[in-house]
Amino acid sequence: MAMNPMEQFEVKPLIPLHIGGYDVSFTNQSLWMCIVVGAASLFLLYASTSRRLVPTRAQSMAELAYEFVGNMIESASGAAGLKFFPFVFTIFMFVLLSNFFGLLPGSFTVTSQICVTFALAAVVIATVIITGFMQHGFGFLKLFVPKAPFLLLILLVPIEVISFLTRPVSLSVRLFANMLAGHTMLKVFAGFVIALGATAITPTPWFAPLSIAPLFLIVAITALEILVAFLQAYVFAILTCIYLNEALHLHDHH
Amino acid sequence: MPAPEPPELRALGEKLDEARGKPAREPVTPPSAMGIAFRFATELGAALFVGAGLGWLLDRWLDPRIGIRFPIFLIVMFCLGAAAGIRNVMRAAAELNAQAAQAANKENEEQ
Repeated sequence: MAMNPMEQFEVKPLIPLHIGGYDVSFTNQSLWMCIVVGAASLFLLYASTSRRLVPTRAQSMAELAYEFVGNMIESASGAAGLKFFPFVFTIFMFVLLSNFFGLLPGSFTVTSQICVTFALAAVVIATVIITGFMQHGFGFLKLFVPKAPFLLLILLVPIEVISFLTRPVSLSVRLFANMLAGHTMLKVFAGFVIALGATAITPTPWFAPLSIAPLFLIVAITALEILVAFLQAYVFAILTCIYLNEALHLHDHH
Repeated sequence: MPAPEPPELRALGEKLDEARGKPAREPVTPPSAMGIAFRFATELGAALFVGAGLGWLLDRWLDPRIGIRFPIFLIVMFCLGAAAGIRNVMRAAAELNAQAAQAANKENEEQ
């Protein structure tokens, strides 16, 4: 019986593979990333084949996701942000489906690994920086210079630079920590059910019926986790839009 | 709506909205107190982490070159990181306040 609540996050190689001294094995993480990408692609392809004016259920879901992301981009970064629609939509769908697939019993939560979330955040920030330089040239560096007397700038510019460099870290840590905490909590409470239930064969069997309490709690937490799964995907996508907005429009942010 | 849709469809959508009597379609998810607290905590913590990390790297790179054995960059950058963290939290709070004010305005208009 696996009672270790952290065991679910272990990355296990399924097909060991070593190239040039690097371990590039196909792991359970790679497998679930493939499943997520495959599921998202298949669903969206299937949903968009019918193209009816009165949508089918699948088409309606796909349209809902499309409009949701589209509205989010437009409200956060204006009409100019819409050319990043494919980028933001891909990130949103990947994070959302990773979070939801992670809730399936026995599955592996891709977004509970800091390397995955940090890679996503690094791509976002790289896009922001490249966009900023393409739009404004070196004027993009004005982002780091707030309106202040010159002497204060010596102090303020490093603070702004650190503040900017914080973004990929806080973006990735938020998603990763939420998924890690939620799934650990589920496993810990599941452990309580087993531990309390096992008292049935000890000298104090009257504790055993109490195991129903953490069981109900698991149901409630699972519901909460479904909300968190959606909310974190939303937060990740909307922050991407906000950062892109700054790179596009470059008004000083405060 | 973001979709490159023909104008007659947009007009139809607007008519539908009007008929349903709702102002505009927008997905507003007000953040929970827990979400806000978590956001502030990560903003502050991440800035400290980044500042101290950069300082540590600078120390490793520069200290042997300029011949000091004192982690001056770590200390300075940690303080700057703390300042950046507080700046981040203030910025996040300002964003949330603006959102809340917007939502309150909308409610007032509706009443």
